[in-house]
Amino acid sequence: MKLTVNGTEHEVDVEGDMPLLWVLRDELGITGPKYGCGIAQCGACTVHMDGVAVRSCQVAAADVDGDITTIEGLGTPAALHVVQKAWAEHQVAQCGYCQSGQIMQAASFLDLNPDPSDDQIDAAMSANLCRCGTYPRIRAAVQTAASRLQEG
Amino acid sequence: MRGMLVGLMIAGSGVSAQTVTREEGLAAWDRIYAVASHPRCTNCHVGAQEAPMWAGLGFGRAVPHGMGVKADDSRIGAESMPCRTCHITAAGRDVASPSAPQIEDAWRLPPVELDWLDETSATLCAQLRDPARNDSHDIAELAEHLRSSPFVAWGFAPGAGRSKPAGSADAMAHDVEIWGAAGSPCQ
Repeated sequence: MKLTVNGTEHEVDVEGDMPLLWVLRDELGITGPKYGCGIAQCGACTVHMDGVAVRSCQVAAADVDGDITTIEGLGTPAALHVVQKAWAEHQVAQCGYCQSGQIMQAASFLDLNPDPSDDQIDAAMSANLCRCGTYPRIRAAVQTAASRLQEG
Repeated sequence: MRGMLVGLMIAGSGVSAQTVTREEGLAAWDRIYAVASHPRCTNCHVGAQEAPMWAGLGFGRAVPHGMGVKADDSRIGAESMPCRTCHITAAGRDVASPSAPQIEDAWRLPPVELDWLDETSATLCAQLRDPARNDSHDIAELAEHLRSSPFVAWGFAPGAGRSKPAGSADAMAHDVEIWGAAGSPCQ
């Protein structure tokens, strides 16, 4: 089957029920999305499907319905996505394992709701777990990114 | 005469108002309520509260949906985290609890007008027979919803570990037609 990931079309020979996360990591070598729980409880595997955040551990390869974007395709070191830039400024990451999923969740969220309330930020990010407990910095980074988006 | 008889028939159901007694209608309603009040329905038939419910999952006590989920005004979580982030749109995936269920439709809550969490039988009966309070559904449309909705179909076959109501979507739709043909009695 064919998948478009970060703008590149790939032909993969996998079982239809293989999770997209497996396809990305094991078949395509795209290891930004992380395995955390495998049951949509932690958010570490979050990628975008046509711009909307999805848990890639839950999407069977045969059910992929849209272009996939991973953290590798969100921005570049020379041109960071506004969320990535805010992440660096607030020094959000500690161990960093969850941050790919956190950033992808936040980027999709701000695309859908560029002027969020603090409660909406909390709701949008509550299903992305961080074992290091960096939640205050995550919230601050999302607020900064939202402010930048409103400034244009 | 013929036109009147046709008018007394529920379209396509074979259920005629002339052949259904009030008692049969009340018995049908009792069966309808047994399903409609099951957590598989009431978890999503919630009002303007922020979260759907987690009840009857096969583990734990009944609690509001975890992870800070908010349905929001959109009823699909568009303002915060869309339902589809975890509830992937896909057919035929028997995703076991505690993973998020998947169906062949965009996961969402029903319109807020169709809130009946914790409602009594009499209250829900009065609500469902009144198009002004049931999102403008007549009896035929209620039956059609039950027969065609992927959400209802999933509710009767929710996959491993999850509780489910007795019966089937078709049997419930037939009960709605019987109830309607009897004049939608409530008590």
